[in-house]
Amino acid sequence: MKRQILAATVAVITIVGLAGCSGSSGGSGGSGGSGESSGEAGGLISIITPAQENPFFKAEADAAKAEAEKLGYETSVASHDDDPNKQSELIDSAISKGAKAIILDNAGADASIGPIKKAEEAGVPVFLIDREINENGIAKAQIVANNAQGAAAVAESFVAALPEGGKYIELTGKESDTNAGVRSEAYASVISQYPNLVSAAKETANWSQDEAFQKVETLLQRDPNVQGIIAGNDTMALGAVAAVESAGLLDKIKIVGFDGSPDAVQAIKDGKLVATGLQPAVLISQLAVQQADKFIRTGETGEEEKQSIDCVVIDAANAEKYTSFALED
Amino acid sequence: MTEATTDDVVMRAIGITKTYGATRALKGVDFSIRKGTVTVLFGENGAGKSTLMKILSGVETPTSGTLELDGEPLQLRNTVDAADRGIAIIHQELSLAPNLNVRDNIYMGRERARGGVLIDYSSENATTVRLMERLEERLDPKTLVGDLRLGQQQIVEIARALAGNARVLIMDEPTSALSGSEVEVLFKLIRELTAENVAIVYISHHLEEALEIADHAVVFRDGDLVAIGDRNEIDLGWVISNMVGRDVGDLSPDLLEEFGEPVLSLENVVIADPSNPARLAIDEVSLEVRAGEIVCLYGLMGAGRTELLEALAGRTSIQSGTVRLKGRKLSKESVAERIALGLALVPEDRQRDGLVQTMSVGENASLANLLAFVKGIVLNRRQERTSIDKAVKDVRVKTSGPTAAISSLSGGNQQKVVISKILMTEPDVILLDEPSRGIDVGAKAEIFGLMAREAKRGLGVLFATSEVGEALGVSNRVIVLSKGRIVGEFNPKHTDREGLMVASGESTEAAEPENGLGK
Amino acid sequence: MTATTTGARPSTNGRGPGDKGGTAKREIDYLGILLEGRAFIALIVLIIIFALLSDSFLTFNNLLTMTKHVAYNAILAIGMLFVILKGGIDLSVGSTVGLSGVIAGVLLQGWQIDAFGVVIYPPVWVVVLCSLAVGTLVGYVNGLLVTKFSVAPFIATLGMLYVARGAALLISNGSTYPRLGGDPELGNTGFGIIGGGRLFGIPTAIWIMVVFALVAAFVLKNTPFGRWVYSTGGNERAAELSGVPVRRVKLRVYMISGFCAATTGLIISSELTSAAPQLGESFELNAIAAVVIGGAALTGGRGNVRGVLIGAFVIGFLSDGLVIVGVSTFWQIAIKGAVIILAVMLDQAQQRIKRSKNAALAASSHSEPTTTPSTS
Repeated sequence: MKRQILAATVAVITIVGLAGCSGSSGGSGGSGGSGESSGEAGGLISIITPAQENPFFKAEADAAKAEAEKLGYETSVASHDDDPNKQSELIDSAISKGAKAIILDNAGADASIGPIKKAEEAGVPVFLIDREINENGIAKAQIVANNAQGAAAVAESFVAALPEGGKYIELTGKESDTNAGVRSEAYASVISQYPNLVSAAKETANWSQDEAFQKVETLLQRDPNVQGIIAGNDTMALGAVAAVESAGLLDKIKIVGFDGSPDAVQAIKDGKLVATGLQPAVLISQLAVQQADKFIRTGETGEEEKQSIDCVVIDAANAEKYTSFALED
Repeated sequence: MTEATTDDVVMRAIGITKTYGATRALKGVDFSIRKGTVTVLFGENGAGKSTLMKILSGVETPTSGTLELDGEPLQLRNTVDAADRGIAIIHQELSLAPNLNVRDNIYMGRERARGGVLIDYSSENATTVRLMERLEERLDPKTLVGDLRLGQQQIVEIARALAGNARVLIMDEPTSALSGSEVEVLFKLIRELTAENVAIVYISHHLEEALEIADHAVVFRDGDLVAIGDRNEIDLGWVISNMVGRDVGDLSPDLLEEFGEPVLSLENVVIADPSNPARLAIDEVSLEVRAGEIVCLYGLMGAGRTELLEALAGRTSIQSGTVRLKGRKLSKESVAERIALGLALVPEDRQRDGLVQTMSVGENASLANLLAFVKGIVLNRRQERTSIDKAVKDVRVKTSGPTAAISSLSGGNQQKVVISKILMTEPDVILLDEPSRGIDVGAKAEIFGLMAREAKRGLGVLFATSEVGEALGVSNRVIVLSKGRIVGEFNPKHTDREGLMVASGESTEAAEPENGLGK
Repeated sequence: MTATTTGARPSTNGRGPGDKGGTAKREIDYLGILLEGRAFIALIVLIIIFALLSDSFLTFNNLLTMTKHVAYNAILAIGMLFVILKGGIDLSVGSTVGLSGVIAGVLLQGWQIDAFGVVIYPPVWVVVLCSLAVGTLVGYVNGLLVTKFSVAPFIATLGMLYVARGAALLISNGSTYPRLGGDPELGNTGFGIIGGGRLFGIPTAIWIMVVFALVAAFVLKNTPFGRWVYSTGGNERAAELSGVPVRRVKLRVYMISGFCAATTGLIISSELTSAAPQLGESFELNAIAAVVIGGAALTGGRGNVRGVLIGAFVIGFLSDGLVIVGVSTFWQIAIKGAVIILAVMLDQAQQRIKRSKNAALAASSHSEPTTTPSTS
């Protein structure tokens, strides 16, 4: 009996969850059928991002949706889960729904070229956010965060927090992900200028909090006098915070992350984390939508195709200004 | 043909021995096959016939001994090897792939291919059609074998053996699923083949049917070849006396003469065939077993013995009719509940249904009765151990101890463990399905001795067998089952083997009224 | 699980009657050492190698940290052992880890009930019970799929792997629940103790592992249920005909596995004081590896808790040891795979030896005159 009630509970939770999802996309398409003539705002903007389950992509999609609706567009939001096939299908359906523009965080620098071309040929302009593709002149805009600049800025904060120098651990992301490499290189380019900072270990924790936690716990056993931990993203940085905290070394070890997630900013406010690089996902989405709007009205964006938006370092000095969930607008 | 010259001999087996773990299935057998003749093999279950045929056809390799083909030593690694040399076998258990069609089954493993790559379907189809015409069974080569009825499947199996243009054709129970007219066609075909100088080895439980086709007869008993005879020297009596051979009195333990109340009674029990629900495995069976009585269910393979016992044990359900245990009507009770009520089964297939191979002797013995040793939620292991020791000693299991691996015991001792497991549950009725299967003569006598002892203690015993000697030697009453029905009931004291065999349908007259062959 | 023969002394064993009785006790001991010894020796070798390569490996604190890491996997593997003994497999445990963490997260952050316009902050013990119940429920669904709907365990639990993960993502909307420390004003503090606390200086995770291991070993050895698990895995048909409630046994083992997975989820979430829906990805593979290294047969019926613990220690010490020594990540992965394969290969070889010994024993007991059966 008890089991059956529990079964029902989970089923309800599941169904409510599903309904919640379809509700949001259904609602956006609901009040369709406005003007089609170019030169005017209005119509459908299709927003396609990798995954809704990731807070970063969710913030990105939410920001684009909010901005588009503010400018008088309808929106449809979908995710391709990094599957080029699914991305292609989503683009097809955007074309057939008569979207005025597509805001796309693409599923692969090469695999996305064809579908984007297809959309452009069908007269639907594509505005790329967050990730670039390996060809120019197809998309109307490619707006990305400057990972290298941001990571270098975070590394500067890290170095500044360790004026005496010392040993540090670097946690890198999934080795197959280019961003992991870009950030790691940028970290190295800054830290290498300070010879009193010595690398104690460089381990991958696959962007995962749990893995970062276990690895840092283990590494602290080897080197209890580590002074700093620099992580490739905030999730790993928070894993490191948990490990350092449980070892009682929070006041001795300086930790930095990257991404600017709300949890990380909270940790900065709590004094557990030194700094994180804020990827301007919201700003990028807003810019893309604004340029799409301009393009729909005037036929041009008024900007270069490739735009690189600088990241901002968040630390104790400006964390308070980062109003909660700023990424989500 | 009596004095066969060596020229006539196509294939010869010399001193063939085969052991399976503990069991010696063949004990140094010499055997020759002559061209253009039908050699029929007789013997009880487990006498070694099928094992020898498997060795001759490359399915198994002998433990020792050699094979010769045309006077040359022969090493068969597998059936393909054998087929390449013109030796084909029609298996007792059908070895067809139900997911493939008739044509693909016939050419399984020897597909005709153009350039070794593309299968030549048209030529395969043509040959298949020709084979089917010869067997007077017009089947579309593209019919799925799984969709055919059993008899048709058997014909496909025969066609497959013929497709290889065999010089030696071994038929292991080829007619078990055939109708009378299909048997007639097969026999006609066998005569055609012998006229083409093909050597045929034929095994069948239908003694008279087999005698009909035999040029020579060979009788096996307990892994030995015990008698050879030519057509003019042999008759049913010769076959049976050689088959049973040993004094059946060896098996016969003392039995009670007077019995108690009925402990198990069946009334119009109907059971659907689990593998084919449209068919009835047991059709309106009524019987009674009384306390202290040993009742034997005698019947051939497929008579429904196993289906009946498994349904009584609670593994499958009965379709209609009533079963009463000590007067209490049974309906949906599970196996466990029936064991608790005092009804338990010693299954036919010890390895598959009787024992847990990964567990020790003791753990197997106590498995059915664990709840008896529970204190709170915990097993009282000392009490369990005491009971196991007692039970194992009680049935005289020969083992180094309760912690020994079950696979370290011989077949007979494994069977005793299964029986001790059932006896530990203190049943009122025990069901035994072919309790002597795959165990040697000495162990058989012990098993039946146990059965008789338990009956004397007041248990009702119902056991199934397909061996006449057992049916007559160790029971108070024999009930003959044929095709799901009771066809006769005998007092073993006033019945001889032949009477029982005729009743069971082992003789062709009774089995296939439309068949006309054995007359 | 013991048997009478060993692979170590093929020449002196299984020859006949003279070998029985007096030497039986010694043989059993040999076998025990050999069966689990293989993995145990591997563990000792690992410890020696790492201790030689790094000074900080063989320190009390490091052993404690590594053991704590082992505990996460060991608890999962103990649950997995029940399923594998039964002859099944549970691929859903990793997702269940994530789901149970998310359930704890959602409840500790306050469960909003819109219909009443209230937010409920249940106390920690309620949170823990709910998480464990949900984990057990996932197991129950697995069990139902396997028993009632006859779905192959691999497929059923593979499906639940996705369903449970999806449920975790849906409930959390993909985001992590941070700061699960609770609020004294709401009376829901103390979650951090489950994974982060210490008792007599030993992390609670280790205590939980020890308790689970003792209980599991006891249940497997000393209760009818334990015996039923072994018999169902060893030969389901025979078990059924012996009156073993096979379906109930199957249902229970999956529930046990779900319960253990939920426990691991709680421990890790507590330790991190945050619950991510992605937590536990591919944990099921580590758990299966631990069970297999510990000498359990994937076909069921063979294995024990001691072996599983050793298997978990081998995997855990190997991973952490390679980090301490500073081996590159790619090598870590490859070495782990090689160790698993090696362990199973050795196990197979050993089983082969055992089988042939038993066959020889059976043959020898057969060839003795059966007319004098009463002597043994």
